[in-house]
Amino acid sequence: MSEKQTILIIEDERAISNFIGRALTANDYRVIPAFSGREGLSLLFSHGPDLVLLDLGLPDMDGLEVLAQLRGLPKEVPVIIISARDRESEKVKALDMGADDYVVKPFGVSELLARIRSALRRSDRLKLSQGNQRDVYQIKDLTIDLTRHQVLLGDEEIHFTQNEFKIIELLAIYAGKVLTYDFILKHVWGPYSSSGNNQILRVNMANIRRKLRENPSDPKYIHTELGIGYRMLDD
Amino acid sequence: MGLGHTLSSWCRQAVEQVRRLPDVPRDLVLTAAIFLLAYWACSILIHHTGGQNNSSLVFVLAVVLISLVTKGYIYGIAASIVGAFFINYSFMYPYAAFSLSISGYPVTMLSMVAISCIVCTLTARLKRQAVEAVRREKKAKALYEMNEKLNAEKAAIQLRSDRETIRSNILRAVSHDLRTPLTSISGAASVLLSSEEISPKNATMLTDIKQDADTLIAMVENLLSVTRIQDGTLPLQKQEEMLEEVAGDALITTRRRFPDYHIELDISDDILYLPMDSMLIKQVIVNLLENAIRHSGDQEHIRLSLFRQERWAVVEVRDHGRGLTPDVLESVRAGRPLERALSGDTTRGMGIGLSVCQSIIKAHGGFFAADNDPKGGAVFRFGLPMEEAEHE
Repeated sequence: MSEKQTILIIEDERAISNFIGRALTANDYRVIPAFSGREGLSLLFSHGPDLVLLDLGLPDMDGLEVLAQLRGLPKEVPVIIISARDRESEKVKALDMGADDYVVKPFGVSELLARIRSALRRSDRLKLSQGNQRDVYQIKDLTIDLTRHQVLLGDEEIHFTQNEFKIIELLAIYAGKVLTYDFILKHVWGPYSSSGNNQILRVNMANIRRKLRENPSDPKYIHTELGIGYRMLDD
Repeated sequence: MGLGHTLSSWCRQAVEQVRRLPDVPRDLVLTAAIFLLAYWACSILIHHTGGQNNSSLVFVLAVVLISLVTKGYIYGIAASIVGAFFINYSFMYPYAAFSLSISGYPVTMLSMVAISCIVCTLTARLKRQAVEAVRREKKAKALYEMNEKLNAEKAAIQLRSDRETIRSNILRAVSHDLRTPLTSISGAASVLLSSEEISPKNATMLTDIKQDADTLIAMVENLLSVTRIQDGTLPLQKQEEMLEEVAGDALITTRRRFPDYHIELDISDDILYLPMDSMLIKQVIVNLLENAIRHSGDQEHIRLSLFRQERWAVVEVRDHGRGLTPDVLESVRAGRPLERALSGDTTRGMGIGLSVCQSIIKAHGGFFAADNDPKGGAVFRFGLPMEEAEHE
């Protein structure tokens, strides 16, 4: 990867856009700032960035509308949402509409950088695999073998129930991306699963955590997005 | 004098006793009394006026009186019929004998019965209408008073809720509008801190800027929490949550601000899945952890534990520091905010942090307690009900 990766920042608050821009430039990314939704979309078409940072509270158009237009593009660009806390439900909507991840104001620089790296890695992986699913996923010392239905933690095999395995499988396939409760429910329990199944999902997750000996305050494999969903870490 | 007095008091007692009787016996007694009075008056009159007597008129008067004081017109009609017979028998020639053979007698009797019947139905109707009118008036008055009361209450509630809405809108706007600039101050400071062009001398100042911006951000979070619960007038946004996920998130947030502190998290084997406003509960845990970090003087052994105790999901923050002063213990026990004097420099932010915690937990129907471990250090503990209370 000789060329610098380009990141488009669609954010109307100049001070926020400035410091994010500085942090990204310092970390060897090329930055294009846009201060409104329309400007963002036109820069998106002309520059074809590798990643988009999108603020949901834009002055000229709804951030979700920008996301919808962006998703209409043939080339899939990873999107990280910048949201204020009072837009909780929009955040879930944005994730369900295909955004990869989100940060909530106030956020720290290192947190943002980690999420950008993770989203870019994921998009690179997608490009390399060209849509073919892998059979084995490796996350740190965790090996998830989809063909053999096997999970190894180091050399030790960990036994999961069928649904627990399905959840891990799904998170592994989308590693680096935040999956909402609804998304996981639909994929594991089928399209007609009711939201009442949420409890089953959460309890399954608590069991997975115990089997993987995960500490929720310092997760190695699965990160909890409080009230939103889960994300498998990929570094 | 003495006799008149005795008589009148006797009469009053009699009237009082009659009034206390139930309807039917009372009406019977009254009818009989008036009837006897009329009979007595006629028998006196007949001595003075002789044959040319006006006893029928006296009886008509008696019937009117009876129908006035009794219920319905049965007593009046009965009295008029019985009266007609008595007049005929006692006060008309031939005395002490019943006779219809003398010309004019049947007409007198019939017309007397007819007149008293009509009079007493009329009085009964009048009486009913009067009673009805009184009842209507009472009802209207009660309705009016109730309406007045309701209006006053409504106005008071309206005023109060208007004030609350304005207050919370201002607080929310301020918190929200503060957050964006604070994010950029803290963010810009950390970008500068990581660049190589900054001299160590400037770096310390930048660290101060960043830390103070982060402290302000934490305070804004507390303000925002306060606007969301404010005296329990706003409903909590409760959802079932896994407590360990909330606690984990709170710990991650705290660790980001205080990377040098070591905090242990103990999750129990029990699955603690219960209804709560997760943002607010996270805020409580963050406040308690920050409290331990700032005030205990302990950097190593801060411990966050989750466990189930009967019907409570309990969160405990324990340190091995210098413990709590009696003032803090007392104010937590009494559930009142810390005195201003206590939250001077050494305990900056402790007062507001703890009182926010207490009101959040109270709004959840939980308990909040603080204590000193006999082996040293402070213990803060709060519990949330595992099940929604039944009345909710």
